[in-house]
Amino acid sequence: MIRLFPTGISILLVGLVLPSLPGHATTETSFSDDNDACLSCHGQEDLSMTLASGEEAPLFMKRELLEASVHKTLRCTDCHNGLDQVPHAERSYKNLAQFRASFGEACKTCHFENYTKTLDSVHYGLQARGDVFAPTCVKCHGSHDIARPNEPRSRISQTCATCHLPISEAYAKSVHGRALIEENNRDVPVCTDCHRSHDIADPKNRAWLMNTPALCGKCHADEKRMKKYGLSTAVLSTYLADFHGTTASFGGKGRRTDAEPVVALCVDCHGIHDIGKVTGKDAPVFQANLVKTCQKCHPGASANFPAAWLSHYEPSLSRTPLVYLIRLFYKIIIPFIVGGLVLQILLHLWRTVVNR
Amino acid sequence: MSRDADYVVRFGMRERVEHATVIVLFFVLALTGLPQKFHDAAIAKTIVNALGGIAQVRYLHRVAGVLFALLTIAHLTAALAAVVLGRSALAMVPRPKDFRDAVVTIRYYLRMSDERAQFDRFDYKEKFEYWGLVFGGLIMITTGFLLLFPILATKVLPGQVIPAAKLAHGNEGLMAFLVVVVWHLYNVLLAPEIFPMNRTIFTGKISRERMRHEHPLEYARRFPEEAAQTNASDATEPQRKDDG
Repeated sequence: MIRLFPTGISILLVGLVLPSLPGHATTETSFSDDNDACLSCHGQEDLSMTLASGEEAPLFMKRELLEASVHKTLRCTDCHNGLDQVPHAERSYKNLAQFRASFGEACKTCHFENYTKTLDSVHYGLQARGDVFAPTCVKCHGSHDIARPNEPRSRISQTCATCHLPISEAYAKSVHGRALIEENNRDVPVCTDCHRSHDIADPKNRAWLMNTPALCGKCHADEKRMKKYGLSTAVLSTYLADFHGTTASFGGKGRRTDAEPVVALCVDCHGIHDIGKVTGKDAPVFQANLVKTCQKCHPGASANFPAAWLSHYEPSLSRTPLVYLIRLFYKIIIPFIVGGLVLQILLHLWRTVVNR
Repeated sequence: MSRDADYVVRFGMRERVEHATVIVLFFVLALTGLPQKFHDAAIAKTIVNALGGIAQVRYLHRVAGVLFALLTIAHLTAALAAVVLGRSALAMVPRPKDFRDAVVTIRYYLRMSDERAQFDRFDYKEKFEYWGLVFGGLIMITTGFLLLFPILATKVLPGQVIPAAKLAHGNEGLMAFLVVVVWHLYNVLLAPEIFPMNRTIFTGKISRERMRHEHPLEYARRFPEEAAQTNASDATEPQRKDDG
């Protein structure tokens, strides 16, 4: 990321950021005084209004909540616009759901880029279909108590767990999740590293699926990152060189519907959220479990069948002599034969010219 | 002399049809096979998309492959039957003379000698290509079927056979493609004495003139009187250039 900016600009950026870091506190970072005026009424615990549905909408706001939020320097009316006159102009809400959604669009005033991204997301798709449980900005980020979403990093998966609990539990047990939770490892992916945060795609979407090898490859083909854990970075190239990867790189099988089988992608053998170490006895790619894993797509596969896939290894004399020797044979014979024939053609042409 | 008398039949209908079929199948197999081997190349994506996706490309490849296998089996069965029944002239069988001919020809190209090799019905280049196609074809068919039925194959064979077959299939196919594009197309289209095209395999006919130069031993065997005559007249003429 640092390489995005030339040094000169980086210094400028640091200059812009530094004053707002802790230790450089200025008057700007303190709680907005204007809010005291609002809290003189909204700080009363019993303040509420009755909606058309008969539901009671609480209008109480805890001062401590606001003071702890990253937005503490904003004025209440920055988000709750149209309410700067006291008494407020009359508003009517059908029910509690409508009341709660009433300022949901306020975020885009400042966070327009992230807001537009959400319009492409699977979550917005649910909202557009009228799903009242669909996540909105505040459902993930909170509203008055809004905090940095990624501090600590494990907070991200906890946020997603609000709705996606079973997946979150599977993730917590995975090799990625355990490293995150137990060691606060910064190399493992959290939900948003794979699924993105605002423009979250439907994971059953074909284009997204076909991109998953590249997604895994982002870390697993990264020498620096993998070296720390002694993992091979040839996993992506060896995958792409074999049937499954080649098929995937051509966009998979079947063209008509998303439901048609695509081809085995990383996740089909290794698992998705529950992904484990390949040496783990329960891992679907553990030697003893391989036949069963192959049989998911290749019913009738025998015990010999898994060896038809070189398990991300390059052909070698010790591991796969037949494959290695055949590759070597053609590396020699093709240049030899074709080169010899080209030489003969050149000689023939030369002699023809000489004859004339 | 009438026009018909200027020409001799070199290939029968069966050989002409076989050759035409091989052209079509070879083209389809290369077109649908090479993009799978070179899947990284941008042109591979273009070809695969144009043909309707990888599943469609593999389907075409398999259909053409099975037809090629059938053609090869039919050809070899007929050839073998002819040998067994004593009806084959065994003209395609490699003989020590072919290796000598190759040496003589290379020496001629290198101007180490002016002696031209005298060929019979098939010269060493034709035999090389024929046996290359037969043996290469058998490798392609065997490995192709291993790849088509990997589950069946690994019931009896070790799993390693499949990636080995894949490498052999792709590389043997690439070699066949290069030999045809470089060597065969040069010899039948671009060689100066042939250009623009040697049509014999399509028409079945070869002119007596070309036959006398390209296959003098066969010519002498089939037309001993004419051969004796022209040899006598050649002896009085200065050495002619080889213009086919």
